[in-house]
Amino acid sequence: MSKLDSITVQVIHNYLLSAAREMERNLMRTSYSTVIYEIRDFGLGIYDDQCRLLAEAPGLAVFTRGNDYGLQKTVEFIGKENMEPGDLLLTSYPYWSSAHPLDVLAISPIFALDELVGYTAIKQHWLDLGQKDAGYILDSVDVFQEGLLMPGVKIYKAGQLDQEIVNLLRFNSRMPDRIIGDMNAQISACRTGERRVSELVTRFGLDTYHEAIEAIFDHGERLARARLSELPNGTWEAEDWADDDGIDRDTMLKLKVKVTITDDEFIVDWSGSNPATMGPMNLPIGLTEGVTGLAFKGITTPDTPANFGNYRPLKVIAPPGEMMHAIPPAPTFTVWAALLAPEVILKALSQGLSDRVPACSGGDVFDIMGVGLLPDTGLPWVEATNEAVGFGAHAGGDGEDAIMHLSEPGCRNNPVEVLESKAPWTIDTYRIRPDSGGPGLHRGGVGVMRSYRFLHPSGFLSLVKKTKSAPWGMIGGGDAAPGKVIVWPGTEKEEITGAVNYPMAVGEVVENYSGGGGGWGDPFQRDPQRVLDDVRDGYVTVQSAREHYGVVIDPQNWAVDEGATAALRT
Amino acid sequence: MRVSVDVGGTFTDVIVLDESSGQIQLDKVATTPANPAQGVLDGFQKVGAQTEAIEYFVHGTTLGINAMLTRTGAKVAFVTTKGFRDIYILGRTDREPMYDFKYKKPKSLVPRYLCYEVEERLNYKGQVLSPFNREQAAEVARAIQAEGVESVAVCFLHSYVNPDHELAMAEVFAEVAPELSVTLSHQLSRVYREYERSSTTVIDAYIKPITRTYLTRLNDELVAGGFGGNFLMTRSGGGAMTLETAKEEPAHLVLSGPAGGVIGGAYLGNLINEPNLITIDMGGTSLDVSLIAENTPTIENEQVFQLLPISIPTIDIHTIGAGGGSIAWVDEGGHLQVGPKSAGADPGPVCYSKGGQDITFTDAALLVGYLDAENFLGGEIDISTALAEEAGQKLAERLGMSVLDMAAGVISISEAKMAGAVRVISVERGYHPKDFALCAFGGGGAFVAANISRELGIPRAIIPPGPGNFSALGMLMVDVVHDYARTHITDLAELDPVPVNAVFGELADGGRSALKSDGFDADSQQFLPSAEMRYRGQEHTVNIPLPSMSLSTDDIPEITRRFHEAHEQQYGHSMLGDPIEIVTLRLRAVGILPRPDLAKVAAGTGNIDAARKGSRQVYLRELGQHQEYQVYDRMKLGAGDSIDGPAIIEEPSSTTMIHRGDVLTVGEYGELSIDIFTEVS
Repeated sequence: MSKLDSITVQVIHNYLLSAAREMERNLMRTSYSTVIYEIRDFGLGIYDDQCRLLAEAPGLAVFTRGNDYGLQKTVEFIGKENMEPGDLLLTSYPYWSSAHPLDVLAISPIFALDELVGYTAIKQHWLDLGQKDAGYILDSVDVFQEGLLMPGVKIYKAGQLDQEIVNLLRFNSRMPDRIIGDMNAQISACRTGERRVSELVTRFGLDTYHEAIEAIFDHGERLARARLSELPNGTWEAEDWADDDGIDRDTMLKLKVKVTITDDEFIVDWSGSNPATMGPMNLPIGLTEGVTGLAFKGITTPDTPANFGNYRPLKVIAPPGEMMHAIPPAPTFTVWAALLAPEVILKALSQGLSDRVPACSGGDVFDIMGVGLLPDTGLPWVEATNEAVGFGAHAGGDGEDAIMHLSEPGCRNNPVEVLESKAPWTIDTYRIRPDSGGPGLHRGGVGVMRSYRFLHPSGFLSLVKKTKSAPWGMIGGGDAAPGKVIVWPGTEKEEITGAVNYPMAVGEVVENYSGGGGGWGDPFQRDPQRVLDDVRDGYVTVQSAREHYGVVIDPQNWAVDEGATAALRT
Repeated sequence: MRVSVDVGGTFTDVIVLDESSGQIQLDKVATTPANPAQGVLDGFQKVGAQTEAIEYFVHGTTLGINAMLTRTGAKVAFVTTKGFRDIYILGRTDREPMYDFKYKKPKSLVPRYLCYEVEERLNYKGQVLSPFNREQAAEVARAIQAEGVESVAVCFLHSYVNPDHELAMAEVFAEVAPELSVTLSHQLSRVYREYERSSTTVIDAYIKPITRTYLTRLNDELVAGGFGGNFLMTRSGGGAMTLETAKEEPAHLVLSGPAGGVIGGAYLGNLINEPNLITIDMGGTSLDVSLIAENTPTIENEQVFQLLPISIPTIDIHTIGAGGGSIAWVDEGGHLQVGPKSAGADPGPVCYSKGGQDITFTDAALLVGYLDAENFLGGEIDISTALAEEAGQKLAERLGMSVLDMAAGVISISEAKMAGAVRVISVERGYHPKDFALCAFGGGGAFVAANISRELGIPRAIIPPGPGNFSALGMLMVDVVHDYARTHITDLAELDPVPVNAVFGELADGGRSALKSDGFDADSQQFLPSAEMRYRGQEHTVNIPLPSMSLSTDDIPEITRRFHEAHEQQYGHSMLGDPIEIVTLRLRAVGILPRPDLAKVAAGTGNIDAARKGSRQVYLRELGQHQEYQVYDRMKLGAGDSIDGPAIIEEPSSTTMIHRGDVLTVGEYGELSIDIFTEVS
């Protein structure tokens, strides 16, 4: 027990969590791009002076975890002693920021009582910053094609804005006004967090603050260790596949993991995964650590806010030079292996912890993007949306239908009315995908489908790397329907694919289907009444009920044919 | 005579105001969930209100939000554009818990099999891409009728810009299934984002039948009892609406109950010259926090209740699960936590002796000496300190603390959480707490008012008269309000006043005729124009009051200044050179009701000993020991009386704590005004 009483620790912890929420609100309310205010393509947190996470706000979990490493490397490079009150640093060097160069990490040091007491950090997607193609990069072969690289550039020095750096950013962007507007929102949100923490430290004093944050970390560690001790010891391995690296479209990429649980450690070893890829599917190590942490947090302490202490039992191994640990100048832009990585960890664990982990979810974020010039003004536009997937079913019940992938909890879909107002396209359909969830005693969640019709010549990009292999079921549960992108459906040119970048003519159509979640347990054991409910609601078709669940349903009067069902099920 | 009734989850509060004397009478009766109208009538009886003498009956109820919470509203069908059956079910597909791979969304108010598509399509400019197919729509209406649905929500894509197809759908329902209650999205919200608008529409449809049944029944009973006055309902967005409007647009009733307290706060603040107030209403299960700036409650255009968005103007009330019944527990890391789980009214806190096993805030308050076991609710409830001590001992052992430290910890943690909630609606919205007074009411507000104020640097706390019934009191102070809005996107620097004034003219015509049918003549009508504005390129807007409904280009510099200032105030930065655009023009039409005066209380003698009941030992965590608090009877205090902390001021429905250095003064309306002591560092 520390000298400081646990009640005061709680008070300080609550204050930090609310400061992180305030940063989030400020960012959302003042930003210029739908990727921020509709989709929430950002991750933010508050850190102590040793770059250890104190509090975060909902957004992209995959970002927040990667921010830890990005902040550490930036501070190392610039030097803690060179931080001044009022500084604001930008980092987009992917091997540090742990994301592609368009996901720019903004960092502000926090000073209180003449001491550096911590940092705020926000990573968010910038629409355009010096990358070779508008929108997104699917086929870069080195980092220098991927955008403007910033290694902790001080855009504010001691409170003074450096206009020359603003000019540099503007002249490197196809959409200068949008990125500067978004950046102002990002900086303002950093400042908000900075002010709050500074007020906190001033009020409680440096000693109490430092003691309290150690206690917050220790508490976070105790929570994680308490759960870890409930897990069986053992070593389990699994592998799974991402579609391709964007250059060689025919070779799938292996993610291989070995997870070892001991009494006091949780060791995740990515050795033996794909070698470095020629295309941009390599992961910066900070991102590998981040997504591994995401899985670990979900298994141990999903119900409490994250802090550095939670991750003390976690050890991550990824040999440099492999896909899971990119070294410069390997291209990293697509970083999509990061989405699949936590699922593969769960797959390994499903062998020893089948009652605790879910089957595979849709396995991707099913992001699509349109780019072009607005017909009335000629100004460039970029709009995007991610789509919900099915969650994997688990011992406790069905996987949720149509919910954002596990890597992006706070993320939202972009509304039809917003997309149509902002860009020259029409959405023809937006609906759930019946039968996309894996059958099981517990059914996997269903994915969704949205189709786009272009009203003006535009570019279309799909950023999807999990279409060639199905999300797996568990314990006898069926696999789910994987996602897919259909370009020019119903025409001679029709192409069923994953990640592409195609020019679209007026009237041409694209359909984006997200994957369902795998089933859990034998579907023939599922209560026929529940199968009937699913059929009634259209999540499962009459045919699938018969074929996969052995349940015969009369759609005229919505009843289970008991006799026929019994016959099928024996 | 004016009567107000606030039906809460546990109690129904009644207040009668005699306008000639300014005297108020207040009482509480148990809420009767099976037939809430009965509770209202019981309340009338208990306070001895003469039904025929009531000129204004103002009512607030949690009926709607309870139906949402317990999923006991109507069987609703959802009708939308072909191809988009799932826009309501899908929602925004996000979730709050960051790391829960087994997350389940709350149950939808409409099952998927009751979601229907109609052939029609508009684009974002409101132009028709596919005409409304009347025949197919009639088939849908018949199918819905065959399902035994009670209520229908209609939301077509882009109806916020062109409502023709929704209106056509209403006609189809009127022909085919006239018995169905129908809610059209554009009548509630003219803002894009199909899910949020659908959700607003579904909520309205979901609570409409029960609201109508309830209000009709209550009105019938009142009329049978001789009532011939005005029946008004408090609105989520502030003010009140007539019974007829309430039956048509119950979506505006979702925060009907808590809104009363905020309206009361604004009224009291005006009366005692505290234009800036933060209100906290602490009940059994939750704490409602709101902010009043310059005598005006702050309004948000979108709120989320139980994860269901509703996009209509609503008083910005932030609710957290921290109340008298909030349960204390130990997490796996060995830390004490409080709430959000609540023991509610049944079994309630351990000390109620109704079988509760878990230590609650109320038990902790009893253990440290905030509460007097002998005088709880004026002695109406028997309190068992022994039971609380026994349960407290178990919890304290798990924490390795003394019972007293545990109990004081429960209070500290609760106060920290409540302070956090106040921070959300003040600091996070760009307001500094030092510019506000804290107005605390509800059963528990006066316990925590002084410490929360101290925590946030709020210089003064106000405990209004009758804090336990304050929401009901606020309901007596309403005006009738109608809100109008129209999207009108234009650059502020190049503003052409002609079309803007024309829009305001139309909105005002609507307001005038609505107020006229409510019975207000021109003299008692007021119009408050405002505009939602943003930097061009931003999405979210800031609402800026406009100088008049008839603008000229001379007004532009002033409006520009107001916008930059508001943006700076709310978000900490402004972009002085950047172009500004107006997005939405808003008009609030107000029918002003005669404002009743509260009676002043008699001046005190200055000798407070007469009000002293004795003293009590209170355990303080920071001292690690007990301290003696003098105990006073609020009913015996007069205006101008002053008490130095530490002290406890008791009244039947509430207990006010003031601590060392705090100074309490009784104001002329009987309000307790506490000057908060802060250490000079």
